[in-house]
Amino acid sequence: MKAWATQKATRAARIEAGSRYARGKAVAAADLPRFLDAVLRPGDRVCLEGDNQKQADLLATALADVDPAKIHDLHMVQSGVVLPAHLDIFEKGIARRLDYSYSGPQAARIARMLFSGQIELGAVHTYLELFARYFVDLTPNVALIAAVSADVAGNLYTGPNTEDTPTIVEATSFKGGLVIAQVKEIVDQVPRVDIPGDQVHFVVEAGKPFYVEPLFTRDPAAITETQILTAMLAIKGLYAPYGVRRLNHGIGFNTAAIELLLPTYGETLGLKGKVCTHWALNPHPTLIPAIEAGWVEQIHCFGSEVGMEDYIAARSDIFFTGLDGSLRSNRAFCQTAGLYACDMFIGSTLQIDLAGHSSTVTASRMAGFGGAPNMGSDPRGRRHSSEPWLKAGAEADPDTHPHLRRGRKLVVQIGETFGDQNVPLFVERLEALTLAEKLDLDLAPVMIYGDDVTHIVTEEGIANLLLCRDRDEREQAIRGIAGYTDIGRGRDRKMVERLRERGVIRRPEDLGIDPLDADRRLLAARSIKDLMLASGGLYRPPSRFRNW
Amino acid sequence: MSVISALRNETTSWYEASARQRIDALVDRGSLTEFVGPAARETSPHLAIFGLPTQLDDGIVVGEAALDGRAVLVAAQEGRFMGGAFGEVHGAKLVGLLRAARATRRDVLICFDTGGVRLQEANAGELAIAEIIRALVLARLAGVQVVGLIGGRAGCYGGGGLIAACCSTLIVTEQGRISVTGPEVIETNKGVEEFDSKDRAFVWRTMGGKHRYLIGGADRLVADSAAAFRAAAIGALSSPTVLDAGTLDAEQARLERRLARFGTAEDATEIWSALGIDPVDDLPALDESSFLARAGGKRESADGAR
Repeated sequence: MKAWATQKATRAARIEAGSRYARGKAVAAADLPRFLDAVLRPGDRVCLEGDNQKQADLLATALADVDPAKIHDLHMVQSGVVLPAHLDIFEKGIARRLDYSYSGPQAARIARMLFSGQIELGAVHTYLELFARYFVDLTPNVALIAAVSADVAGNLYTGPNTEDTPTIVEATSFKGGLVIAQVKEIVDQVPRVDIPGDQVHFVVEAGKPFYVEPLFTRDPAAITETQILTAMLAIKGLYAPYGVRRLNHGIGFNTAAIELLLPTYGETLGLKGKVCTHWALNPHPTLIPAIEAGWVEQIHCFGSEVGMEDYIAARSDIFFTGLDGSLRSNRAFCQTAGLYACDMFIGSTLQIDLAGHSSTVTASRMAGFGGAPNMGSDPRGRRHSSEPWLKAGAEADPDTHPHLRRGRKLVVQIGETFGDQNVPLFVERLEALTLAEKLDLDLAPVMIYGDDVTHIVTEEGIANLLLCRDRDEREQAIRGIAGYTDIGRGRDRKMVERLRERGVIRRPEDLGIDPLDADRRLLAARSIKDLMLASGGLYRPPSRFRNW
Repeated sequence: MSVISALRNETTSWYEASARQRIDALVDRGSLTEFVGPAARETSPHLAIFGLPTQLDDGIVVGEAALDGRAVLVAAQEGRFMGGAFGEVHGAKLVGLLRAARATRRDVLICFDTGGVRLQEANAGELAIAEIIRALVLARLAGVQVVGLIGGRAGCYGGGGLIAACCSTLIVTEQGRISVTGPEVIETNKGVEEFDSKDRAFVWRTMGGKHRYLIGGADRLVADSAAAFRAAAIGALSSPTVLDAGTLDAEQARLERRLARFGTAEDATEIWSALGIDPVDDLPALDESSFLARAGGKRESADGAR
């Protein structure tokens, strides 16, 4: 007779093997290598928790130290490949196959290891896709996760950085998998229960907090006047006319400039209460002045941000917080919010081609996607209306009956024509294509597809791609705001002028913006210290951002 | 006036300002007459060899002006050009200014913003540092006050730190840093355990304006605004210091006492505690007035040499 509960039996066997090194659910950090040898099996699908912010760093190091003769051919399914140990696992032959979504700081090394065949790549996903596949065909056998504290029953407190944990545990624990958590300490009672103890099988006391990267802190001191000009264009040329209230911002300096211009420039335009009221956003320190000035009603967060804990706790009308007072973040829910409940995504990128495709991949760096494509795409399943969504839809498709017309999410790319190190933003051909050819991928790693992009903003103006009626117009609209890059110099002057007359291209002067007004004195905060002072001393910036 | 200029913060941040904006805001309005200005096109003869851009004033503005009605000579380094570093022309302009100060008995204001000597013209730059120090000391011996103002992004490092130490008064902001060897260079040579240049809070509490002020490495601590620098500069010129053998003896004795008192301290916070300041942990976060209220009376003073 066919056995129908083999997964549960396997889990019971893993728990029995692991219990030899545990007292109850608690495993001593010193016993981790032997413990992992006991509970893991060759070929296991393993989720090692880590994303662009929090990391199960102790478990990552321990996994990289297991004996590859015993544990090998693991299939890693995880959001982030961020720590050196994440790749050491492949170098040592402990793991072979990888499905992931983000690899910021390891982008160069992961590309080299993909070229050399040390990693067998499943796919590079967006966060939501990877989470979705946890419940369909990439369900982990073992999850190695991170929390702040646990009690003896295994109840976990994740603190402000809950992030991916509930999603990973849900998929693993309810499908016969084993959940192992690293915590800073085991306590009598956790401040709040983020993960119920019956879903957690083992707990390792690390004695120190898990690592968190302050990825969303942008120092106002580094914002340039060109970036301020792009921010003014976005506020006056997009936020105001579309009335964008629900949105997500990327992490670049252009969007940080927008956040810092709301209480100053935005105020003079009379936009307070009319734009930027509801957000799917991490707790960006650069949003503090706008929050303090009463612009923001509500923010849901993917994760937290180092140093923002006390500020968030003191602003529970704005943020989602638990009984303990601290932030409750949730990446899967916030990504869903960014996809379906926001009317605008605006972010920076590294390369944009003539079709409007954009990518942060270069030929030697495979940075992955993270969540930007979830936010930066038009959700075809959306069925509720809003003013910006309807207006954008009408611009794209004026001829269809309004009651049968889809709206459009505003997906905006913003940047300077020449970016960091004077590298042109606009290219004939994305380097992502070169990478795809080298690795024989089915798909080039495109961050935002051209047909999802509605506007591109540079210091030269705004290109409204919704109003372009064919490929040629689209190409000339992009060339028209590409300035002195080769792409910009290749424009058809007459056609660009016609596009400008139709409002497809809008220059600063068309919007009544004097580029000489783009001045750093417009920023509501010009330094990290200004942000700290604006928060009433509640924001405690990490040392690396201080100059005091 | 546009709406935008109306809402701008009218206090000019010294940290954010350029060399020319600093001088404009420092001296009496419109009183500057520049010497060897950009029109003279005295650019660096060395940078082109390295394919580097030059600047028409070689990164320093020098001239004569009035401060609260008093005739002074002024100099300001442009920290955004080559990190404000000293090259041949840059250095010569400051040497000339200091010699003129001695000849005309006019006090000098130097707005430092420098990483030290330009590597691309190192020999000329090092010679310039020596000549500047000589000219500065001779001017001071002739009774001229030389006031250093430090609060730019580049701080005051390398030879700039040596020159600053010879000034009669140093005015500094919290952001301003004063030292000879920079954080990255110390880390490269001595290791990250000795000096972690990425730990910015550590860098500032070791080299930053507040610490320098507390140990007598700077004389006046001001807020980051041109108006505060102007007021402090006026104050400094009206309380002149003397440079003679007695000053140097006193300073030598003070430095010996300092070494005996703080020589074993591992961190600036230990020195602050030893000075009798309590508490010390939030000292870096305090604004200037709260800081001065808590720590001002407990600092070491430098008596015209440091």
